Amino acid sequence: METTAAAQKFIGEWLWIGNLGHSLTVIALISAILSTLFYFVNEQNKEVSSTGFPWAKRFFQLHVISIVGIFITLFTIIFYHRYEYHYAWRHSSNALPVHYMISCFWEGQEGSFLLWLFWNSILGLILQRSAKEWESPVMVVVGFAQIALSSMLIGFQFGEFKIGSSPFDLLREQRPDLLNIPILAELGIGNYLQVFKDGNGLNPILQNYWMVIHPPTLFLGFATALVPFAYSIAALWRGNERAWLSPALIWSLVCVGILGLGIIMGGFWAYESLSFGGYWAWDPVENASLMPWLIMAAAAHMVIISRSTGRHLFTSHLLIQLSFWLVLYATFLTRSGILGDSSVHSFTDLGLSGQLLLFLLAFLSISLLVIVKSAWRIKLAIFFLSLFLIPVIAAYNLPNDAHDTFTSVIKYFGVVIFLLFIIVYVWMLYQRTKAELPDETLNSREFWMFLGSMFLILSLVQVFAATSIPVFNKLFGSKTVVPPADSYNKIQLWLAMPIMLLMAIAHWFKFKETEVAVLKKSLIKISIVGLISGVLLIFGFGVSGFGFQLFLVISVLLIIANAWYLIEKKGMEWKRWGGGFAHVGFGILLLGVLVSSVNKNVLTGSETGIDLAPEIDENGKIDEKGVKFNRQNQILYKNQYQSIKEYDVKYIREIKGVGNDSIDKYFSVAFVKKDSKGKVTDSFTVNPKTQNNPKMGMLAEPSTKHFIHKDIFTHVNYESGMDRKEPYASFKTDTVSFREVFTSSTGKVQFSIDTMDKAMQSSGLLIRLAVKAKRLNDSAWLHPTFGISSDMSSFQSKEDNNESLGALVSIVNLQIMDPNPSNPGAVKFVVTTAEKTPVKNYIVLQVIEFPWINLVWGGTIIMVIGFALSVSNRISQYRKLMNA
Amino acid sequence: MKKLHIALLLIAAIGIASVVSMYGSTTQYVSFNEAQAIYRDNPSKTVHIFCNLNKSKEIEYDPQKNAEKLVFYAVDSLGVESKVIFNGTIPPQFQQIEKLVLEGHAIENAFFAEKVLTKCPSKYEETQASEQSAVIPKQ
Repeated sequence: METTAAAQKFIGEWLWIGNLGHSLTVIALISAILSTLFYFVNEQNKEVSSTGFPWAKRFFQLHVISIVGIFITLFTIIFYHRYEYHYAWRHSSNALPVHYMISCFWEGQEGSFLLWLFWNSILGLILQRSAKEWESPVMVVVGFAQIALSSMLIGFQFGEFKIGSSPFDLLREQRPDLLNIPILAELGIGNYLQVFKDGNGLNPILQNYWMVIHPPTLFLGFATALVPFAYSIAALWRGNERAWLSPALIWSLVCVGILGLGIIMGGFWAYESLSFGGYWAWDPVENASLMPWLIMAAAAHMVIISRSTGRHLFTSHLLIQLSFWLVLYATFLTRSGILGDSSVHSFTDLGLSGQLLLFLLAFLSISLLVIVKSAWRIKLAIFFLSLFLIPVIAAYNLPNDAHDTFTSVIKYFGVVIFLLFIIVYVWMLYQRTKAELPDETLNSREFWMFLGSMFLILSLVQVFAATSIPVFNKLFGSKTVVPPADSYNKIQLWLAMPIMLLMAIAHWFKFKETEVAVLKKSLIKISIVGLISGVLLIFGFGVSGFGFQLFLVISVLLIIANAWYLIEKKGMEWKRWGGGFAHVGFGILLLGVLVSSVNKNVLTGSETGIDLAPEIDENGKIDEKGVKFNRQNQILYKNQYQSIKEYDVKYIREIKGVGNDSIDKYFSVAFVKKDSKGKVTDSFTVNPKTQNNPKMGMLAEPSTKHFIHKDIFTHVNYESGMDRKEPYASFKTDTVSFREVFTSSTGKVQFSIDTMDKAMQSSGLLIRLAVKAKRLNDSAWLHPTFGISSDMSSFQSKEDNNESLGALVSIVNLQIMDPNPSNPGAVKFVVTTAEKTPVKNYIVLQVIEFPWINLVWGGTIIMVIGFALSVSNRISQYRKLMNA
Repeated sequence: MKKLHIALLLIAAIGIASVVSMYGSTTQYVSFNEAQAIYRDNPSKTVHIFCNLNKSKEIEYDPQKNAEKLVFYAVDSLGVESKVIFNGTIPPQFQQIEKLVLEGHAIENAFFAEKVLTKCPSKYEETQASEQSAVIPKQ
């Protein structure tokens, strides 16, 4: 079988480009290994010589060139629709516009790793220029990450074991089953490309502008988490130096800013184009990106403390590293398929979860290696290597029937060893970095900042515990249901309050010692103003419920305290506004989250939220007694006004998407609001979309009308076009003349032929009738046609129907009584009519009002500007320090 | 003892409490029979069931009568079949769906689902199970 496949010639393949891609991947991996080795040797022997140093630099640059080359190669394959490559076939299609081709990179796992490699490469280039004396140790860590990631793209297969998955694999090798089709038996399998002329296409959900920029932003955020981690490792490697803190602070702020922006962009995309009606659902994928953010935010604050006071070096190291591990954990969660049952995001498992797990452990081992005394390092390294290799070798040589016992033993031992490993590591890190300093005072900034960071960790603990449930289920065979969004909200609501409170006051303290009298005065002033505005806003926004009201007041306090601080202490020195500005933005963001979700109002929902929907069966008995039905949608018949809360709403028409083969349907829905005198005060139209995708079923995209103070979100959940089509029935044939009224078989529809058009065509004579059909008060024109060939030997009849009348008419024959064309009355028509229940056009629409949702987006923008200011300020501080 | 240590202990206590309370409120996937027993004990407790759609029986959905009522039959992992009444619009491509997760209550002879999470063998890519959530967020 294999020999015949090898001898088989395949016509029309561009094998060279795949070979180029494969070669570039191998070059990328080898150059990363060499660069890392040279940097490593350089760091170990920095007193001896530095001949290897330029080589380390050059090999990394070669690595970057190869990564860019892989990117271009893969893009070329997609651009030229080379479907002999599995990746192109799987993720793109001929109809895909060029600007969405870039999105193909993040639909597939290989493309995502490539994107990550690309960002790391760029960061590596920046570090080569900016890291100065830290370059070697930092680049060893970056290089190690590049080795790990490049190996994910290699795609080698040793028996059962697979290393990486290449984006340059051929379709016929990846999916030989697809070639097993009758048409290829006829054409010859070598001509398979004549059949595979189009790809599977990009998931339509990803064909959205936000999906072009959200994933790269998020991945850049993930990638930047590596840099502070690398500095932390480098500092420990060099024996606990403190000079790593300044660059690590800059990079951790970059990470928090970009990752935060990426997360909110994802929320905005979900809100604009997904149907769940919101921007955050505590979905495991969202949580996976939130976890490193929470810890990186805490870590950045710890680094600020360590840099200013020398305290908490241990916590700084631990949190910076934890944040990076959480990035790896997030990758494992989203890429291993383990979340399959609990997330609306879909995942492909390429069978690489083992490899991902291995990298997680390898990075942990590196962290442990650098903190032990150098004499121990080699022994420990050998110990770890054997720890990894023994199970692999054992698994390979074990008889098949022993595999299950083996895996379960490995599983439990693995968990125990892993936990021990973590405990030992944290303990050693503590021993290595502890500093004997006098007790900090309650009126120091570092005390309150530290407390705030601890609450951020608490927030992480809850998210981690809930998101990891599928992992625990897999490990221990339990069947626990992943908690719903509500249970997150309940806990996070209360955890966010102390965080916001500490964010509000911490800036007013000075590092080490604050003068109590001045502090007291400021804090009292702010509290009074904050409380009054908060309480006023409770009424302004109409928020009820004690927890929500308290949250609102604290978020207002946070905004006011920081804005006040900026104006009073920093004045016009806007370069130093960063931290306070970011805090103000975060406060506005959380205020917006609270108001838009607590006061979210489903306008199409029933008044009380609960609606008894008794349905009477044929015996007059109430069906499903006592069951309460919620109503979230309203049915809207075409051209009929219906009131939805304060609006009169009408579904006007549907518009087909641009292009002949478009499967998009837009439903124009007009909203009109009138005051008590009947004067129109507001009117607008929304166009929610449905797409009857042959591959994925009905996909709906909401349409949202944005106001400054609220959004009206509309979404079509069902439309009459999705009903099963009832066929026409009760066929009846009549012979009638002009203007003679005839009826369908039940008499419900009346017809009359009004006029006849004749046209001579090359093929013969074409007759087109105008038939008026009438059903109760509705009427419509039908235009059946009848063609007669020139030699009168054949006829062709085309029926016409109207779905909303439920009427059909077709011409069976003509009876010409008088051949004189001046006497049309002498023509009789043999016509067939049929009828069915009239089809009513309707949509099932959901309308949700989100009050003040713009605060969420506005707050995010302010926060990101704050981070940008902060980063630029820290960079100029760092430059001054370096030059001094 | 340092003030900081006291604060840390307090925070750790809050952390443990919040995780314990969260795990305490989690539920397990159950079967239809177990769901009925749970409903008899505690009618307000929501249960989750993994099941397969019975495609041989009729799926009733008449949006003009009630756009948010879907009636179908499902079989759980033990092979027990139950009538399911779902309060919501019909999930996309429902006829092609195989696996379902139901969330709701087993009242008398039917399961009343508040949420239905569907997993269909997507034609989009045969090897990939695409998921479409049919969850309508409830307040």
